[in-house]
Amino acid sequence: MLSARGLTKHFGGVVVADSLDIDLNPGEIVALIGPNGAGKTTLFNMLTGFVRPDAGSIVFDGQRVEKLPSHQRARLGLARTWQRPRLFESLSLVDNLMIADRDYPGERLIEMVFRPQHVLDCEEKGRERAERLLDRIGLGARAEGRSTRLSYGQQKLVGLARALMNDGRCILLDEPMAGVEGRTVETMKTVVRDEAAAGKAVCIVEHNIGFIRDICDRAIFMFNGRIVAEGSVHDLLADKRLTALYFGSHS
Amino acid sequence: MIEFLLTLAILAGINVLLACGFNLILGYGGLVSVAQPVFYAIGAYSSALLSMKLGLPVPLAMVLGALIAAIASFGLSLPSLRVSGDYLVIASMGFQLGIIHIINNVEFTGAASGLSGIVSAIESPWRSQIYAGTIIAICAVTILAIRWLVTGPYGRAITAMRNDEEVFASLGRDAVHIKVTLFAVGSGIAGLAGGLYAHYFLFLTPDQYGIFSSATLLTMVVVGGAATVRGPVLGAIFLTVLPEAIRFLNLPIAVMAPLQGVIFTGLVILFLFVKPEGLFGSKSGGGLDAWQSRAMSSSMRKGAK
Repeated sequence: MLSARGLTKHFGGVVVADSLDIDLNPGEIVALIGPNGAGKTTLFNMLTGFVRPDAGSIVFDGQRVEKLPSHQRARLGLARTWQRPRLFESLSLVDNLMIADRDYPGERLIEMVFRPQHVLDCEEKGRERAERLLDRIGLGARAEGRSTRLSYGQQKLVGLARALMNDGRCILLDEPMAGVEGRTVETMKTVVRDEAAAGKAVCIVEHNIGFIRDICDRAIFMFNGRIVAEGSVHDLLADKRLTALYFGSHS
Repeated sequence: MIEFLLTLAILAGINVLLACGFNLILGYGGLVSVAQPVFYAIGAYSSALLSMKLGLPVPLAMVLGALIAAIASFGLSLPSLRVSGDYLVIASMGFQLGIIHIINNVEFTGAASGLSGIVSAIESPWRSQIYAGTIIAICAVTILAIRWLVTGPYGRAITAMRNDEEVFASLGRDAVHIKVTLFAVGSGIAGLAGGLYAHYFLFLTPDQYGIFSSATLLTMVVVGGAATVRGPVLGAIFLTVLPEAIRFLNLPIAVMAPLQGVIFTGLVILFLFVKPEGLFGSKSGGGLDAWQSRAMSSSMRKGAK
């Protein structure tokens, strides 16, 4: 599905990613763990095209993508979320989602002028999908409202729903649980689990160990820009050496 | 007097087109360019020369002038926007100086002494009346077209792009494509305004299209309200009428000449600090407001790295 080899990135003299290999498979939820500064988000940024790796290759759905710009990777079905929700504040929730439809002909003026009916059809389908997704995260009634009226956790859910509008085969979630509490916790878990059950490859950067234990099938531990361990969530969490790295003790 | 008012209406109409076109670029696209008068010049000279040298009918020459201006905009937008929007303002200054320098030094365009003998659009005793009516109709159609463009699916994309370009890209949307398109449409409208000017006033000089003209257009958009449909329309009318009104004060020429510049630049500074959404803009929903905050957050991000 998504397979990267030898991804390397230097920022100045600092190696933030050192020859990283990662494979994501359909239906599997992979946790990417490690202390802050380990290079987890940089890895996401390299996979989605926001950071250009110095070396390495990325194959997504049988196609080399490491040279493609971000928006083209998204168009192939590689979706992501961000640590902060980063919703479009000037748009309603349903518009936030509709703009994320993978094929959105309304962004091209040529289509608007010469194929108005096609654009309208896509609008209608997009709106239906967006409303269904908002229902799934329990915010169907707020569809026409602005994101600024929502709690932080609800905004994160909308951010997730927006990424799901892509309906691609792989989704990368950057700290989905950070700042999420109360009822939204269960909704977040359910939605992520359902997506994997529907055959998507899911990769999650997360510090919430409970969440990882609950929903992830496999874990990758990163430290100082390297992958230092990979295995079942249970094994990695039981590894005392990794716990020491995570909490920064060198005993 | 009636002739004066009609001429003022024609000038106001041309400025409305220029400001609306510039607003697509600056307000909706969030693209800071000073080169809008250049596309005005390209449209004016192309249309004038096509009708003079090739004998094309004036309306056809005007449409072609607008198309040439739109196509010429790629020469500026493609190289600078592919790299980063930050280069556009510098590149646009160079582009403006370069094109004006060419017009100033080529015999074909009448060089620095200007282009005269342009074919008039209409020969009629009611010339000014017909022309003013036509321009008002063209303005109305343009304003409706812009409103259609910035609402609905395309408008949603423009708004999202201005809110957060990185997220916009992560959703599969192509910001460069939208910016280049807005730039071309805005420049094409300026080109049309150029043709309309040329075939009425029948005389063009290169110094009409310099940095002072850029500042005037910027004032119209900012004072009216960037990224709103009606803002630049009202801003353009207001700032076309204002200098004429000042003329009636009968001030000595030594005061009059610099006064206009002082007022215009003063207005821009005042509005950017006190009322960045403009006279007719809304507080939320983008405009230069969003552009400013985005510029600030991106420089803060760079600082953090």
